[in-house]
Amino acid sequence: MLRVEKLTKVFTRGRGGSSTVAVNNLSFHCSPGEVYGLLGPNGAGKTTTLRCLSTLIKPTSGNVWIDDCNVLEHGQIFRSKIGFLTSDMKLDGYFTPDYMLSWFGQLNKMEDREIQRRKAKLFNDLQMEDFIHRRIDDLSTGMKQKTAVAISLVHDPEVIIFDEPTNGLDVITSKSVTDFLSACAQEGKTVIVSTHIMTIAEKLCHRFGILVRGEFKEEGTLGQILNKGSGRTLEEVFFSHILPREVSNA
Amino acid sequence: MLKDSMIILKKELRRIFTDRRLLFMLVVLPLIMLPLMYSFMGRANRSRQSDIAQYRSRVAVLVPHDSQRAAAPILEGLEAMNAALMFIDESELDSTMARVTGKELELIIVFPDAMDGNGSTISWDLAAYHNSTADYSEFALEQFTALLSLLNDSLVRQRITEQGLSPEILSAITVNASKDPGTVDLAGEGSLMGKIIGMMVPFFIVIYLFANAMKVGLDSVAGEKERGTLGVLLVNQVGRLSIVLGKMMSVMTAAIVGAVSSAIGLKIASRYLIDLVSEGGEAIADYTMTTMDFMQFGVLVIPLAILISSIVLLVSTFAKNVKEGQGIVMPVYLLIMVMGMTTMQSGDIAPHWMRLTPVFNTLAALKDIFMKTAVWGDILFATGTSLFLSAILISVTLRMFNDERILFRV
Repeated sequence: MLRVEKLTKVFTRGRGGSSTVAVNNLSFHCSPGEVYGLLGPNGAGKTTTLRCLSTLIKPTSGNVWIDDCNVLEHGQIFRSKIGFLTSDMKLDGYFTPDYMLSWFGQLNKMEDREIQRRKAKLFNDLQMEDFIHRRIDDLSTGMKQKTAVAISLVHDPEVIIFDEPTNGLDVITSKSVTDFLSACAQEGKTVIVSTHIMTIAEKLCHRFGILVRGEFKEEGTLGQILNKGSGRTLEEVFFSHILPREVSNA
Repeated sequence: MLKDSMIILKKELRRIFTDRRLLFMLVVLPLIMLPLMYSFMGRANRSRQSDIAQYRSRVAVLVPHDSQRAAAPILEGLEAMNAALMFIDESELDSTMARVTGKELELIIVFPDAMDGNGSTISWDLAAYHNSTADYSEFALEQFTALLSLLNDSLVRQRITEQGLSPEILSAITVNASKDPGTVDLAGEGSLMGKIIGMMVPFFIVIYLFANAMKVGLDSVAGEKERGTLGVLLVNQVGRLSIVLGKMMSVMTAAIVGAVSSAIGLKIASRYLIDLVSEGGEAIADYTMTTMDFMQFGVLVIPLAILISSIVLLVSTFAKNVKEGQGIVMPVYLLIMVMGMTTMQSGDIAPHWMRLTPVFNTLAALKDIFMKTAVWGDILFATGTSLFLSAILISVTLRMFNDERILFRV
């Protein structure tokens, strides 16, 4: 199980410069087999939260746990338990998906046989066989995203953390990625995704956190959120929490 | 940790050595650059010398009536030098000077008045107007000065003889006048070439070490930041020290490949270089290095490559993108070039401060190796300073790798 406890991240510009609270005292959890949806407008703090979860940046206060292992004290072990994907991370276009998966498998300390087995499964599940020997630079956006998904999961992590995984994808690729994530959850993985596409969130996620200006406005299952009466659908609840300025910014 | 570094190194090297364009820049360019450069310079130099030698200098001469007899042998000498003489009078002097300035003529020689009849006592002062910005004019002046020197010697001897004295009194003390020049230079065989090589090689080695380290190193971290590929690496089970070491080893490999390539290029270029530096004397091709020389060379160059790679990697880690990295690293590159040039010009006795300064001491010790005067103490001290400084730089780079403000600043 992944537990986020009072997570706060403050960015400071230079020494003694202005501070921005990107994430403020955030707590939630996600169990194996569950998909947790982190929803929010641009600048709400979704990516910062997920970056803290992925060990890329350190929380200013609070902590993140996967079972007995926490992000502050056991960075490298923590990383072995997560698969992280974000839209601002790109792949080295010079290499092929096949090579990159093998290489990341080695970096994740996997045996050759295990790498081959994982590659075969991921290539099959994500329907990648047609392009695994082509250079990543020559692939379409969808193919690149599938490659990125496969690389982030090559070491078969317990927790999958995807930031806007369907961003910029066509409907077909988008569906195959969300189906894949659903299948991962069914296999017992803990899945956390951020998105601002409500239809995808409703279909994919079991629980949600609506994040505005670094703080949760709603947190729980769809039923729990709708029962509070802020709206009849997740989309209505989402918009009810967004100030007019943020709607216009979005 | 080292295993992870090797995995990173393997990928980086695959990237470097399978990319034809990068390979051309890192390996082929340093290899062909020096032969091409020296071949071109040698050709240009030979062509220039040949043009000048075949050129018929245009010399204007002003000879007063009362100096014609005394001037005759000088004018004969000028004609023998293939100079085209043009006689002018006093009134034409200014306009003729303007022609020299305009490079229409090479030289004006003005003889003094009343040279005839005063041959045995008076010292004459001839005027030679020339144009120092014109090669042909300078060559004509050089030839004329040489001619006058010979005539002067002959006249002085004649005057002394006319006085009933022996010309031998002109030379009270001489050096090696009766010796074969080949027997008095006791330099060891090949050491002249060693000195020439010692001046050139360390300079080119440090230049190509740095140039190749820049080509690969700036892209290695700053380029990855720019492309957004660094994050993917950081979220995997690999320590940041392993990443730094893996990347540093790849930068170092590229740097060493460039240095070796340029050294081979210099060897190929030697036949052109010899034309430039020693007018066909001793051949660089005959210069040999012993196993010990190679060992000392390796002991010095590898730590230098580590140091240079550490500098470049530190800049690459600090910079937001490759462009910013280039801006930061360029002054360091220029400084290293100045160090190389200073070593080149410092003769065979390196100043004491040079032996204590990192990079400088390595270059001085490299020079010693080629001149066969290397001392293990100097070599190990230079190696020690390079490695010590590298360790500090790697440690700073590692701190930067753990600082999200530096690693993710945009």
